[in-house]
Amino acid sequence: MAAKVSVSPTSLIDQIVVPGDVVLDLSNMTNQTIKLGSGLHQDNDVISAMRAGKLSFCKPNKYWVESSHKRYIPRPEDHVLGIVVDSKTDNFWVDIKGPQLALLPVLAFEGGTQRNIPKFEVGTLLYLRVVKTNTGMNPELSCTDASGKAALFGPLRDGFMLETSTGLSRMLLSSPTCPVIEALGKKLSFEIAVGLNGRVWVNSAAPRTVIIVANAMMNSESLSVTQQRIMVEKLLAKISD
Amino acid sequence: MTTELVTPGDVIGKATEFKAGKGAYVNDTTIYASLTGTRRIVSPLPESLDQRAVVEVTGHKAHGPIPEPGSVVIARVTKVMARMAAVDILCVGSKAVRENFAGVIRQQDVRATEIDKVDMHQSFRAGDIVRAMVLSLGDARAYYLSTAKNELGVVSAESAAGETMVPISWTEMQCPLSGQTEQRKVAKVGN
Repeated sequence: MAAKVSVSPTSLIDQIVVPGDVVLDLSNMTNQTIKLGSGLHQDNDVISAMRAGKLSFCKPNKYWVESSHKRYIPRPEDHVLGIVVDSKTDNFWVDIKGPQLALLPVLAFEGGTQRNIPKFEVGTLLYLRVVKTNTGMNPELSCTDASGKAALFGPLRDGFMLETSTGLSRMLLSSPTCPVIEALGKKLSFEIAVGLNGRVWVNSAAPRTVIIVANAMMNSESLSVTQQRIMVEKLLAKISD
Repeated sequence: MTTELVTPGDVIGKATEFKAGKGAYVNDTTIYASLTGTRRIVSPLPESLDQRAVVEVTGHKAHGPIPEPGSVVIARVTKVMARMAAVDILCVGSKAVRENFAGVIRQQDVRATEIDKVDMHQSFRAGDIVRAMVLSLGDARAYYLSTAKNELGVVSAESAAGETMVPISWTEMQCPLSGQTEQRKVAKVGN
């Protein structure tokens, strides 16, 4: 089956592409600077898709493929939920659902010195920022923002963690607020932490609220805005009687 | 000069008559062989105080070259980590080694200046060929190597596109195909 070739740049935008589809041919577009985002690969003059997903375009010149996966590829400045798997003298080893375990330096905390190194047990859930992802090396994480402040990073106590796809995580983090979260927030009180690596943490005073929020979020992946609102209404109606 | 094949543990002389050389050791007053090879006697230097001849055992197989502290080696980088790079030693001087020798280039041995600000990822990548100097025998796992001189460092590297890169300064190499520059600790070659 021959790969799709786009005749002009506009013909494949917002369409589903699969790996191998040629999305742009630069020999037809001289004197333009194009910015390639994730999921696209350049081979001399040919730009082809590397992931299955929707080809997106943002003016004036940004192209990328939006896709949803179970596995996460770490990128710097992503906020993720990690689980501690081991602790060594210099680093904690943290699982972030990526191809490799990530390292969290023991001093990467606000006011972190040799004297107040935190003790995390194996299995602790942490909200972290990805600092460095060099090829061949394990990704490096931090519990501070770029200026060194703690800013909500760190261990997440109590609550419940669920695994999602990366696409659902991005939808839950979209602004304006995702319809599911907005609708739930009007009636229930809870807190959530969303990791771009496909992990979401929910906490509330009542376990019932946690379950409802978790189920609502899991069900909302492929629903439109109105469908999400209707789904949440139905769920909330069930519990109020 | 008597030559005979000896095996480890064979008696090859008396400590009163000989000194133990390479491949031999003294226990009580007897000299034993510690290697398999030919037993050789080397006459003493005329001006040395101890006028005993030296008995030594030379191996029956020629060994490949072995890295010694101070020797310059060529190595291939196998893994780059936050504080050190692991390498496989390929040649000692101009001779290829016959067995696997592991080496390690620590963060503080990459260059001579600003050693605490060294970024290992901007100095080496997995697959690079480097020229380094052996600092010491290191620990049980690897020799300690250093690239802290102008003529030491990355000699050959491949870019992300797969082409051999051309050095443009002591910190950068450029891919001839894509034009992208990558950071390395480059060795000064020539003259």
